Amino acid sequence: MTPASRTRAFIAIVLMPFIALSISGCAEVEGAAPRCDEARRLAVVAQSVPGAAYIPCLRDLRPGWSASDFDPQSGGTHFSLVSDRDPDHEIAIEFRAACDVAGATATTPRADGARTYLQLRSISPRYAGTLMDVFSGGCVSYRFDFARGPHIGLIDDFENQVGLLARRELALTLRTSYDVELGP
Amino acid sequence: MVRRNRPCFVLRSGRLSEHRGPSVPTVSEATPVGRRRRPSGEPPPLPRDIHASTKWYVLALVVTAASTIAMVARPFFVGATDVDLAVLRAVERIRVSGLTTVMQRVNELGTSWVVQGLAWLTIAVLVVYRRFRYLAVYLLTLVAGTFGAFLLSRAIGRMRPTDVPILAGWEGYAYPARPVVAFSLVTVGAVYALVPSGTWRPRIKPIAAAAVGALVLARLYLAVDHPTDILAALAIGWAAPVVAFRWAAPEEAFPVTYHRGPHAHLDIGNRRRDAIITALNHQLGLTVVRIEPFGLTGSAGSTPLRLTVTRPDGTSLDLFAKLYALSHLRSDRWYKWGRTIAYGRLEDEKPFSTVRRLAEYEDHMLRLFRDVGMPSPAPFGFAEITPEREYVIVMEFFDGAMEIGAADIDAPVIDDALATVRRLWDAGVAHRDIKPSNLLVRDDRALLIDVAFATVRPTPWRQAVDLANMMLTLALSSSPEMVYERALLQFDPDDIAEAFAASHSITIPTQLRARLRDDGRGLLTAFRKLAPERARIPVQVWSIRRVAVTAGALVLVALGVGLAVAYVQLAGLL
Repeated sequence: MTPASRTRAFIAIVLMPFIALSISGCAEVEGAAPRCDEARRLAVVAQSVPGAAYIPCLRDLRPGWSASDFDPQSGGTHFSLVSDRDPDHEIAIEFRAACDVAGATATTPRADGARTYLQLRSISPRYAGTLMDVFSGGCVSYRFDFARGPHIGLIDDFENQVGLLARRELALTLRTSYDVELGP
Repeated sequence: MVRRNRPCFVLRSGRLSEHRGPSVPTVSEATPVGRRRRPSGEPPPLPRDIHASTKWYVLALVVTAASTIAMVARPFFVGATDVDLAVLRAVERIRVSGLTTVMQRVNELGTSWVVQGLAWLTIAVLVVYRRFRYLAVYLLTLVAGTFGAFLLSRAIGRMRPTDVPILAGWEGYAYPARPVVAFSLVTVGAVYALVPSGTWRPRIKPIAAAAVGALVLARLYLAVDHPTDILAALAIGWAAPVVAFRWAAPEEAFPVTYHRGPHAHLDIGNRRRDAIITALNHQLGLTVVRIEPFGLTGSAGSTPLRLTVTRPDGTSLDLFAKLYALSHLRSDRWYKWGRTIAYGRLEDEKPFSTVRRLAEYEDHMLRLFRDVGMPSPAPFGFAEITPEREYVIVMEFFDGAMEIGAADIDAPVIDDALATVRRLWDAGVAHRDIKPSNLLVRDDRALLIDVAFATVRPTPWRQAVDLANMMLTLALSSSPEMVYERALLQFDPDDIAEAFAASHSITIPTQLRARLRDDGRGLLTAFRKLAPERARIPVQVWSIRRVAVTAGALVLVALGVGLAVAYVQLAGLL
């Protein structure tokens, strides 16, 4: 192999990920949130809000839905869900230590020991607002903005796709499977 | 002791006439001793220098790759985490409030604004100094390293340390430690792309290492990352760019310098000097006693040297040599691609594939010019310094010769210079680079040097252009009327008309074009008026190759812009 061909090979190797990325149409760097059965990946979400009783996670995504923008960091975690029925209006999901529920209406709780609130900004022509799951030590908010009509099916979809995993359940899995203590 | 070349016969205006070549010493007369075949297994004069540390860096990359794959397996993950947490617990015991504040400040080295600032500063310097090769390697390592670390973190999905309180903010998965990756990438890249080796790099490298080391210690102290997260980060951020720079921009071929003028010249330091002396002695039988750079400003395609060799009788002889290396091969390639894009298929613009081919071609041309009796430097052969990477070609040194522009020329010199074109035509050869710096005068003889661009069986218009460029060069030191009058003694008026009909600005070498512009007499127009009228000859040809090379260049530019944009986009991942 001549030096020139070695250099070409090097450049090709280095460029391969970008070419592959471009071909796959994933030029925008994104990442999906962990699924509820991925304890190892979920741990970092739990660490982002220490002490929260529940951790948001993905159940099986229904056809036409995709998750992206997963961004866990100290203080909270963010990710998005988007449906191909309304691709321009993603649902922004925030996991934080607290939410402002002032002006929100209580609705059917989505998990034991949690309270769920709905805060609507608009009903028509678009059905937009924020759904909030509030529990001990934390809160998950879902900011949505759907066209009136299809909104019923879309809300039902995302409520069923984002689960709340109990922290103690995750801690037990991590302890038994990875010999790691999740902490408070 | 010198001898005259044996006479050869050339066709001049349809008649055979005798021509004697220049007086040159033969190789055996220069120094007959010293030739020696290099036995199999013996290293070449200048073995390719592979840093011992490079092997360790490669090993670190391999181990990191293997560890990363193993991380997916639960037992390895659990084991690594146990060890990591034990280390972090030990570090936790030395925590004190004052030190914590210091470590939190040091941890800011890994923040985006520090990394981005250092990266853009490096990019700016590389652009200003037009070191595009280093820029490409720097951008590629930056983007590949950042993006690679991002992909790895998603693949492994490792949590932050548990059991030990984390004393600083964090973002994303823990493995690999991406702030360490980012800071190491920009720091190492800056050291290898900006700092000249020799005196400065050994001084700067420990400072860079200390900065990265401080960040590593801070992150361990603050328990933001596991030790294995940091080891993987150092492999990606430190080992990978070092290997990339040493491979794609080796210092011996692409030295980092800040002097003015062409950057293509290699440093003739002690090691290379000794290697050249050994190579010339063993391969060409020359006993070299002195090597010095010569005419560096006039050459960007090679490193020109003047050699002093001793002859058997104890007298010395000066020779001219050109050192060709990978950097020159690539310069030649870019130059030819540039010409192909700008001018189309003027003639054979295919780049050389290896440095050896470059040296072989020029050596062949020197021998061909000698054989057809051209007044060009006599060839002494070429020697291998580093196989496929460096070769030195040796030829006669025209001692006492002056560039045509610096000499007073009269009819005999003009006749002699025009006769060289006649001889080129008769031999079916084109020089392709006739300009003032390649036409020397000594003892009323015109001497033609630098045959590297010459070609055999050129296009007819290319031969005609050699005549036009020679007449323009001669007219710079005399008058167009005089040159035209002398040319009619050796060429038909139609030949001269064809020469200037084929002459366009793109066919005139840059130096000659600049001299014509400075001269201000409108020499090209003057010659066209003197010669019989003839329609302009089109010389540019569109071809699939031109389209393909142009498209390739556009893709490369887009890729470069894309890399910069990708880096900006990836900044959020740092």
